Amino acid sequence: MSKTVRYEHVNKIFGLGTKNEVHALKDISFTIEEGELFCLLGPSGCGKTTLLRNTAGLDTITSGKMYYGDVDISTIPPYKRNIGMVFQSYALYPHMSIFENVAYGLRVRKTPNDIVTKKVTEVMELVGLQEELKRNPSPTALSGGQQQRVAIARALVYDPDVLLLDEPLANLDAKLRRYMRAEIRRIQKATNITTIFVTHDQEEAMAVGDRLAVLRKGVVEQIGTSDELYNHPKNAFVANFIGKMNFFNAKVVASGEKETIAEIEASGIRVAIKADKRHVEPKMGDTVLIGGRPEYLAVSAEPSEKSIPGTVRIIQHLGSFIRYEVQINSDISPVTLEIDMDSLQPGIHEGDSVFVTFDGSRVALFSPEGREL
Amino acid sequence: MSAKYSMIENGAETNKIKKFFQKDFSQFIVFAIPMIFIGIFLLYPMAITLIRAFWAPAEYTFKFTGWSLEGFRTFFGTKLYLKALGNSIIVSLSVTLLCILIGVPMGYCVARVKIPGKKLLVSLGILPIIMPSFVGAYTWVILLGNKGIVRTALNFILSPFGITLPSIYGMFGMILCMTLTYYPFVFQMAYGAFSGANALLEESAMLMGAGKARIMRTITLPLIIPSLGAAALLVFVRAIGNFGIPAVIGGNNYVLPTLIKFAYGGAGDINLASSIAVINVVITGLVLYVQKYIVNRHEYETISATHTEIKQHTGVGARIFAIILCLIVLIFSLLPQLTIIVMSFFKRWTGLLPTDFTWSNYANIFKKSGHELFNSFFLSIVATLMCAIFGSILAYITERKKPKGAALLDLSIMAPFILPGTVVSIALLSAFGGNGFMKLTGTYAILIISYMIRRTPYVYRSVAANLTQLNPSLEEASTISGATWFYTFRRVSVPLIMPSIIAGSVMTLTTLLQELSTTILLYGPKTRTVPIQIFNAVNENDLGRASALSTVLLVVVFIIIYTMNTRKGTDLSSSMKM
Repeated sequence: MSKTVRYEHVNKIFGLGTKNEVHALKDISFTIEEGELFCLLGPSGCGKTTLLRNTAGLDTITSGKMYYGDVDISTIPPYKRNIGMVFQSYALYPHMSIFENVAYGLRVRKTPNDIVTKKVTEVMELVGLQEELKRNPSPTALSGGQQQRVAIARALVYDPDVLLLDEPLANLDAKLRRYMRAEIRRIQKATNITTIFVTHDQEEAMAVGDRLAVLRKGVVEQIGTSDELYNHPKNAFVANFIGKMNFFNAKVVASGEKETIAEIEASGIRVAIKADKRHVEPKMGDTVLIGGRPEYLAVSAEPSEKSIPGTVRIIQHLGSFIRYEVQINSDISPVTLEIDMDSLQPGIHEGDSVFVTFDGSRVALFSPEGREL
Repeated sequence: MSAKYSMIENGAETNKIKKFFQKDFSQFIVFAIPMIFIGIFLLYPMAITLIRAFWAPAEYTFKFTGWSLEGFRTFFGTKLYLKALGNSIIVSLSVTLLCILIGVPMGYCVARVKIPGKKLLVSLGILPIIMPSFVGAYTWVILLGNKGIVRTALNFILSPFGITLPSIYGMFGMILCMTLTYYPFVFQMAYGAFSGANALLEESAMLMGAGKARIMRTITLPLIIPSLGAAALLVFVRAIGNFGIPAVIGGNNYVLPTLIKFAYGGAGDINLASSIAVINVVITGLVLYVQKYIVNRHEYETISATHTEIKQHTGVGARIFAIILCLIVLIFSLLPQLTIIVMSFFKRWTGLLPTDFTWSNYANIFKKSGHELFNSFFLSIVATLMCAIFGSILAYITERKKPKGAALLDLSIMAPFILPGTVVSIALLSAFGGNGFMKLTGTYAILIISYMIRRTPYVYRSVAANLTQLNPSLEEASTISGATWFYTFRRVSVPLIMPSIIAGSVMTLTTLLQELSTTILLYGPKTRTVPIQIFNAVNENDLGRASALSTVLLVVVFIIIYTMNTRKGTDLSSSMKM
């Protein structure tokens, strides 16, 4: 049975009352729906793994409540929570065959032998290891990707209420990682078990998750679908963590109900930003950030109206697009922009002086606070 | 035409020779010396011993006495000898079993239960193996003798159950003393295995719903079998090779090492002693084989893991149990050391408490033991330095160069580790005792050689363990930067393995300072060491003198260990592994 997972004002403080007190989770409240594949995303040290370990019961939260469905599980020991978990290092038992590894949770539940065999066979088919199961080797004899599948099978075999995945793809090479994230999504949708997937890789989270939560320093910054987070980030941190965002320092020169006009410090260009692209309450004279995705910016060899002069540092050919790194010499501090364009601009080489233009209708306004990780 | 040809050939020839001399030979020279040493002083003596075992009985002679099976016939035809064989097996197996029963729970308690002073417990828990074991034996005579204080106390506690303790002289005493001396091997390894285990394996079992007992039975214990097997073997070979304890409190219960001493020292029959040595080696070999068989079936590649800290039991009951268990074991195993220190200030201790306080035991050391102290330190330090050099070079060869026959080289270096000290002595005596090509009996050289042969495994194992964890690319980087082999060895390899060289050397030095079983057969009037003097004093019942000398050893050994423990990165336990 799949269940919702709900957090209410969850706090976790390590070393409470000591010198080394660390407030790892700060007043976390949100709900993960039944059968949802939910990603916890954030830089290392943001608290995502702490939240997962507390959800599993391997650590106990300092205050707040956690629910599986309607049941308060905050103080229930992990072995009574009926959860499955896949660890980053898989934690397969080297002294057991892969069959016994997968069967472990069933043996604990005193399942009769014939049902154990049936269930293990089924789940191994689901993860695509039916051939390996026939040879039934020790897990150490398997490749990284196969070990990963065994770990998933082991966590799924006893129909847990919730499945927890702690950076499950971190130990795989890039190609296998892309393949396995699709596999994980396929398996999750096939079983429809509420799943929490922890990762620090935004591309992985966007590809896998139904919804994502972005964490920073123990705080949930934003929750939403990949599309919402990418196109409507609430602040500069989320904007730059989910994909890349280029920021210009700017000053508000006029602000009304419909739009705000800000002047970019590096060039004196004025940009009008629509109300729905404002993520800050702008007042006259405020310092703000104007943010634009790499694909909203362009370079050209010739100056034009509203272009900012800079120098091309690096040109990277990335297959479907070309990335230009351009340095703008601002009065305050030099800014390096990443600009993605569909094709190579003729006559522009590394080291050349260029002019940067951008689509004023698509940039957004952010508060300068909290831009760093 | 032909002249031209030969000129070309000549040119090629000189080129070859030139190239030959341009090669970097330093490593071959460095490697050759310890290998030659092993050949002459280990393999050759062992071969001679094996041959002598099939010679006719000899009386105080090393000359060829004719081929014969008389040695083995005597052994298997004499009740005394067969009983010694039985005693050896019973004592060693019981000691091994008891050490596991004490060491594993204690290791678990210290690693996994939240109790105060863990570091102190681990340090105290290593002391018994570092302290001279035969010294401990006679203190039990004081404590558990007929009127001994511990016997009186224990009999009082046990009297309601109708149990009285058996006599300390004999099997009971030997098993007790050896268990309390050797349990640290199991304790230290169990502690290491339990605290170093991958916490995720247990956590994942818990998430799948397994209770504590099941996790223990299906995950925790099966995973420590390899280290446990290694520790058990170590205890067994120590117990079967121990000379001091049976010599002091065995009474008329002979075991194999005391029997060898009896055959050689008493009857002067080196050939009979060789026969017994061969039997001893066969038994040890059999046990080694059985142990390897069991452990190999449980040997796993560990899948590398990110390190998460292992949860500790915090329940009040578990904590109280753990503290009481540790305290009882530590008090019993450290009681001998305390007794020695107290005894060293008294003349007699025959009743409950010692009598006749005196300083004269210490005053006598300076008068009568100056030469022995010099001998002990001189021999131990020289042998330790040689062991450190040979051990690290040999470890480097087998671990890094992996030459053909590396396994054989490894086996011959480690062989003396599992051979009883008396066997090594008999081997050296057979080879260099009489009419051999070198006569070394009674010299410093034979003692240093025997020490080196027996203790090189400490540094060897410690360094080898360190090298396996050291990425070879560190050395490759140096080679690529243009360094010669010797420069790389000196500037990169040695500094990196230094902690393990030090750990191994400390084990070597501290055990050599109290060495008895090898020395007892090899020493001469000029090369008597402090342990020999203590042994003689015990036999003359001069316990005050023996205790004062032992206290000096204890203090020296303790200072060495303490100094080393304050250094980071040196781990004694790695030098004890096989």
